[in-house]
Amino acid sequence: MSERFSPSRPRRREVIKAGLAAGVTAMLPWQGARAELPPVARNRTMILVWGGREGRWVDWDLWNPYSIGSNHQNGPNLVYEPLAFYSAFADKTEMWLAESFEFGPDFKRLTIKTRSGINWSDGTPFSAEDVAYTLNSLRDLGAKVRWGVDVQQAVAKAEATDANTVVIDFKIPSPRFFFFMTYKYDIGVYIVPKHVFDGQDWTTFKNFDLEKRWPVSTGPWQVVAASPQQKVFDRRAAWWAAERKLAPLPAVERNIWLPNAGEQQTAQALITNQLDAGAGMQPATFPTMFTQNPKIITHTGQNKPYGYMDWWPISLYVNNERPPFNDKDVRWALSQYIDRQQLVEVGYLGANTPSKLPLPPYPPLLPYFDAVKDLLAKYDTNEFAPKKGDALLQGKGFKKDTDGFWADGQGKRLAVNIIGFGAAGPAIGPVLVEMLKRRGVEAGMALPPDFDSRFQKGEYDGAIYGHGGSVNEPYATLRLYQGASIAVPGAHQANFARWKNADYDKLVDEAYAVPPDDSKKLAEIWRRAMEIWLPELPDIQLVQNIHRIPWNTTYWKNWPVAPHPYVNGAHWHLTFPMVLWSLQSA
Amino acid sequence: MRAAYIARRFGVFLLILWLAATLNFFLPRLSGQDPVHAKLLQQAALGGYVQAGIEEMTREYERRFGLDRPLWRQYLTYLADVARLDFNYSIANYPKTVRELVADAVPWTLGLLGTTTLLSFVIGSLLGALLAWPRAPRWMLWLMPPLWALHAIPFFLLGLILTYLLAFQLPLLPIFGGYSPGATPSFSWRFVWDVFQHALLPAMSIILVATGGWALGMRGMMVTTMGEDYVVFAEAKGLKAPTVFLRYCLRNAILPQVTALALALGQILSGAVLVEVIFGYPGIGTLLFQAIRENDHFVIQGVVFIVIVALGLTTFVLDVVYPWLDPRISYRRT
Repeated sequence: MSERFSPSRPRRREVIKAGLAAGVTAMLPWQGARAELPPVARNRTMILVWGGREGRWVDWDLWNPYSIGSNHQNGPNLVYEPLAFYSAFADKTEMWLAESFEFGPDFKRLTIKTRSGINWSDGTPFSAEDVAYTLNSLRDLGAKVRWGVDVQQAVAKAEATDANTVVIDFKIPSPRFFFFMTYKYDIGVYIVPKHVFDGQDWTTFKNFDLEKRWPVSTGPWQVVAASPQQKVFDRRAAWWAAERKLAPLPAVERNIWLPNAGEQQTAQALITNQLDAGAGMQPATFPTMFTQNPKIITHTGQNKPYGYMDWWPISLYVNNERPPFNDKDVRWALSQYIDRQQLVEVGYLGANTPSKLPLPPYPPLLPYFDAVKDLLAKYDTNEFAPKKGDALLQGKGFKKDTDGFWADGQGKRLAVNIIGFGAAGPAIGPVLVEMLKRRGVEAGMALPPDFDSRFQKGEYDGAIYGHGGSVNEPYATLRLYQGASIAVPGAHQANFARWKNADYDKLVDEAYAVPPDDSKKLAEIWRRAMEIWLPELPDIQLVQNIHRIPWNTTYWKNWPVAPHPYVNGAHWHLTFPMVLWSLQSA
Repeated sequence: MRAAYIARRFGVFLLILWLAATLNFFLPRLSGQDPVHAKLLQQAALGGYVQAGIEEMTREYERRFGLDRPLWRQYLTYLADVARLDFNYSIANYPKTVRELVADAVPWTLGLLGTTTLLSFVIGSLLGALLAWPRAPRWMLWLMPPLWALHAIPFFLLGLILTYLLAFQLPLLPIFGGYSPGATPSFSWRFVWDVFQHALLPAMSIILVATGGWALGMRGMMVTTMGEDYVVFAEAKGLKAPTVFLRYCLRNAILPQVTALALALGQILSGAVLVEVIFGYPGIGTLLFQAIRENDHFVIQGVVFIVIVALGLTTFVLDVVYPWLDPRISYRRT
């Protein structure tokens, strides 16, 4: 007999009711459920868009900046104050939690004086112990956490000799260690509260508990809400730096960070004044935004290039370990086939400028450009001279085949398969490919998802990438091309171009030992290094990297705009607190 | 017997789970990429500067994730973990666990896609049934061509158009996000209303597109059902038109729709990725999309496994409840 008349079966209405209840419960974003925040008026609130993944903060509950899944760009840059800030635009260091520092004569000891009378947001005093604890923990943890290996390579021990003095002993002379710890762009050491981090496993500790008001901070911002949808920071009533007149108490009372949902949505939200700052955008979007909301500006007002020059000039890297790119004449020929002005016009609609050297022309770096002016005239890295390029290839035995492509003596075509990523790859990659093809180079372009891995393992022919090097003196950029170092044993070498030159390596080691403020000596070493580097041209200079950040002046003014920028304006950089405390109510 | 039938179906369900879990383990590893290394490089290069010690960090975290062990041992550990619904840490978002990531994403996906799937099913099926019903109002005939035309438009494209019209030109609804900036998730009517407003645009784009499909299917089934003898008999008995429509025609015609609904509900966990991306909806589709891009083995395994369980479970539930929905179907072998 069929059991379809069983009396125990659920009734349809019950099933429907249960289903509806489950559905409604499931709909609610319960993971962040808590008491409502006190309202703050829109004109006291600064709302920005940045980062996230496909419109969601994945790391919303991750406020320990040293765990490998963490990224200071996503909010921790507001929480952890530095020993010092550095603005490359103003070429100025602002001592912050540190009052002063002094190196020993051989740069193997650094003594830092921290300020007194600063408290963490839970009332615990900030002291030199926090600095020593941070450095010693990084030294001990090494590869387990971010920045660990960098610190491990240099620091022997850090000791708080009193409440406001830290003495750091180094394994090797480290004349740039204080600058390494200083916040600029994306580099700096976050000083963590010992009383919170001590005893925790730094690799898994999240440092997020709103009941305990974690993360604690010495800064003016308290995390009051965080979820996949948003991160909310409220201004604290008291801040030591404002009390000491080092900076004004921010006029912004609430700062909301939304994950980036896409360029179109961001543009629409800016136009309708729902946002005060957007993430970087393509040049074509700006004229539309300016027309529909004249209150939107950029670093350069409403003029091209709609942004400021980042520290990351872009190159076409060619793999110097792979023939024929291991031949400097081939690299120079490729360089002379590229019309950079056209690259700027087509790839960026005119909103960019060519780059001559692998470092940005920031004020403190201009003397280093001057030091090689005559070399650049001789080795013009921006020259568009296809005939010279042809001659160089012919000199190496290349001939054009029946299809018009260059081929070597064995008939193998000169081919360069370029990989790219992010915004620069799609913007200029196809233009570059077309330029090279027209000159007889069989070029192709791809945007592989494992770009970073391929590029940094040297599994590429050509790649579009930048230079995270110098901002104030040339050592960091010189080091990008170093093949091996004696001065820094076990140092990680970037050397993306995989170019090797022993004489150049020695010069970089020489530069390492020079104090960063000895610009005369550094300029002399820089020139000698460029005498090797420029004729070799390890990678082909293309264009600057521009941060095109839209700012809305409806509610907030005093953004860091030209011609008087106080700092670079990226809200994802470690110096963004400087922007926040400088904003004024419109 | 019912117990034997259910046990057999459950056995098939478990077999599917094991097969899928096994494929799910091996497929991401076929790419040959090293997810830890790639993630660390990507993370390190975010600011344009490559930190020291990437190789050491890679070794350390491969050991931590168990990726340095032989594949067979990884597989056995994985099966044991899956049995406990423990999917390990996310490689790309360490120390977040896969369970935490899924828990963050599931409510949004269920809220948006679950609700819209059910709504479009109800509206579409009812419209389709009425279209086939000869006594339905004539104006309904004018409703269907636009719905069928909308059905041909990808819903993310319609979403863009609706956003432009209803959120940008006529700022009636929010442009993106799950709730307003500064709002706090709480069990209050204000917050529920806020979430509802944010869900309207993506929901409309999905419902407008999907309704036509449900209506088309239902209309065809209704036409067939209305020709059945029992419908003629019901009419001949003099039953009221609504009774014939609801109890004799609609109830029987809807059975294939219910099958399709069950499968559609099972598939919502794999998400409408593009809709979630366009409207900034932090659902599980985007989580899987991102995990595949980052080759985050553990997240891929976790999400795909949950999708498989959802599909398997809905199929299983469908097998079990079908005889309850359709009295002509019996649990007994014939």
